[in-house]
Amino acid sequence: MTLPAIIIRNLVKRFGETTVLQDINLEIPEGKVSCLIGPSGSGKSTLLRCLAFLEESTSGMITINGEALGFFEKPDGKRERLPPAQIRAVRAQTGMVFQQFNLWPHMTALGNVSEALKIVRKLSKADAEEKAMAQLRKVGLENRAGHYPSQLSGGQQQRVAIARALALEPKIMLFDEATSALDPELTGEVLKVMRDLADEGMTMVVVTHEIGFAATVGQQISFLDHGKLLFSGPPSEVFAKPRHPRLDQFLDTYLDRGASMLI
Amino acid sequence: MTFKLFTLLLQAAVSTIGISLVSIAIGFVIAILLSAATLSGKTIYSAPARLFVSFFRGVPLLVQLLLIYTLLPAIGLNVPSIVAAIIGLSLCTAAYQAENLRGGFSSVPKGLIEAAEVTGFNPLQIFARIQVPIALRLTLPTLVNESIMILKASSLVSVVGIIELTKMAQDLASSTYQPIPIFLSAGLVYFVICSTIALLGRYAERSMARTSA
Amino acid sequence: MMFNPQVIIEKLPELGSGLFVTLLLWIAGIAGGVVIGFLVATARRFGGFATNAVLGSVVEVLRGTPFLIQIFLLYYGGPFVGLMLDPIPCGLIGLTVYSAAYYSEIFRAGFAAVPVGHVEAAGCLGMTRLQTIRRIQIPEMALIVLPPAVNLSVILLKESAVLSIITVPELTATVSAIGSQQYAYLEAIFILAVVYWALVELTDRLGRAAEYRLSRLRFSKA
Repeated sequence: MTLPAIIIRNLVKRFGETTVLQDINLEIPEGKVSCLIGPSGSGKSTLLRCLAFLEESTSGMITINGEALGFFEKPDGKRERLPPAQIRAVRAQTGMVFQQFNLWPHMTALGNVSEALKIVRKLSKADAEEKAMAQLRKVGLENRAGHYPSQLSGGQQQRVAIARALALEPKIMLFDEATSALDPELTGEVLKVMRDLADEGMTMVVVTHEIGFAATVGQQISFLDHGKLLFSGPPSEVFAKPRHPRLDQFLDTYLDRGASMLI
Repeated sequence: MTFKLFTLLLQAAVSTIGISLVSIAIGFVIAILLSAATLSGKTIYSAPARLFVSFFRGVPLLVQLLLIYTLLPAIGLNVPSIVAAIIGLSLCTAAYQAENLRGGFSSVPKGLIEAAEVTGFNPLQIFARIQVPIALRLTLPTLVNESIMILKASSLVSVVGIIELTKMAQDLASSTYQPIPIFLSAGLVYFVICSTIALLGRYAERSMARTSA
Repeated sequence: MMFNPQVIIEKLPELGSGLFVTLLLWIAGIAGGVVIGFLVATARRFGGFATNAVLGSVVEVLRGTPFLIQIFLLYYGGPFVGLMLDPIPCGLIGLTVYSAAYYSEIFRAGFAAVPVGHVEAAGCLGMTRLQTIRRIQIPEMALIVLPPAVNLSVILLKESAVLSIITVPELTATVSAIGSQQYAYLEAIFILAVVYWALVELTDRLGRAAEYRLSRLRFSKA
């Protein structure tokens, strides 16, 4: 039994008056694919963004591979912000893939993937580009290295974005609705890259509406609703009937025919 | 800088507003014609309209004013300088407004025009009842900006001796030897007028946004 | 009506010197305006609430008043506070300050148009705040601002004609002086208009060509 890759303890996130995440407790196992599902506004994306430190939680703790993310808890229970360099070091263990890809439009695919290698990892241009090229090859886009984002399809852009995150060799990959902005016929190529990653044993936290993907690739399914983690477990348990009534309701609205056959 | 001087500036500001309003209105009418000509698809109409727009957008307003001021008497039209000034400002703003309108017209969704066609509207009806109202909504923000530009640009008609805010400030500054308070006050008056236009524009945009889908 | 451009053509060297002053003031005004405008926009974006409020008001006042009034204030008001400026430096300062206000607004809109996600992505990849500003936000903003910046530069070329009113020996002043001397004012103004027209069209085309070359870098519709 290895240590969980991510431990979330009593996590609360408020935006002003509204509570977006209420007392979340979750352990994400190493080398597994953990899917966060739930209706829009359930807080699943906010939870993922907390893991990437794009949102700062209001209280509670997140530990990534044993290291506190952003804040450390003093013996009296109060939180204290860690210094920026230390925050960056812990964040470096995760790679993030966004719904809107967020490729930088002024750089080629290769530029996007090699940029952080050059200026964060301080690799030479040649080394950075060689490493970046290897990542592009992995997502099947080595022949698009010189293309700018505007010259790539949505699916290709998202694969470049995945390569960009992978280039820094994170231990954990975070996916925030990575296929939601794509035309239906382009989701397949991105899901395939994600499946391949899962097969390699990458620890993945995936916020998704693709219930079929969650059911077949996910090893831990967590269902969020109104900012609460209602339950979490392996797909065989979570999707088995009789289901939690909220999950049933959610599946009724979100499930497409293909996925319903899988469950 | 006395209160009396400031009231003189305010009186002159009325001329500034009057000249600007008249010019924007005349310019708007010309702009509609220009944009209709440009979008007509017939070179015989669109080429002169394009040339007009290109010229008046390509030449400084000051030079346009000097040109019109000199040209009118030379071709036998002896009009008061205020008329020459208004003609100059109108033609200039017409060119800019025509460009804005053209942008607005080409942003009217094709589907709306097609919908009118299949309902049996004739081209003139489509233009008047569909394209014009929608294009106007789309160009309202640019029209507000253009009005502010013209209000500021109207300061240039002081050069041909018309007593408006800038000319008044200039005269007062040289007669009182107090250029700093006088030009600052004139600037303040311009600023207040411009801000008011901007405010009204935002209000109009908001109320339009409410009536459109 | 007599129309005899010949009398102006004879004075080409003088016209040339006026053109030179116009181009000099224009290019220097753009350069100064871009630099100051960029600094102002950066300070407003990253410098906290007070900086933003103060600089914002200055920019609003400069944008809400005629250039001519600003120039008069500087030229005629300057000596009263110990600022004796010759027409050319006065014109240059005036044009720079005026254009800086407008450029700063363009840059500000440019910064605001860089999607938050692009900045977040940089953060997730370990870039520091400064690295993100330098490598992501500024280059992306530069792409966004190119078209409005070209437009503004064209406007400034035309605006520089106003400097003739405070006797800056630029194109408009020179050519109208030639016209008066030669008793050919209409011809002079006509030629003046054509020269500006040609300059503006040329600048506009160059700007569009640059935009076209950079168009593949523009945002894709993700």
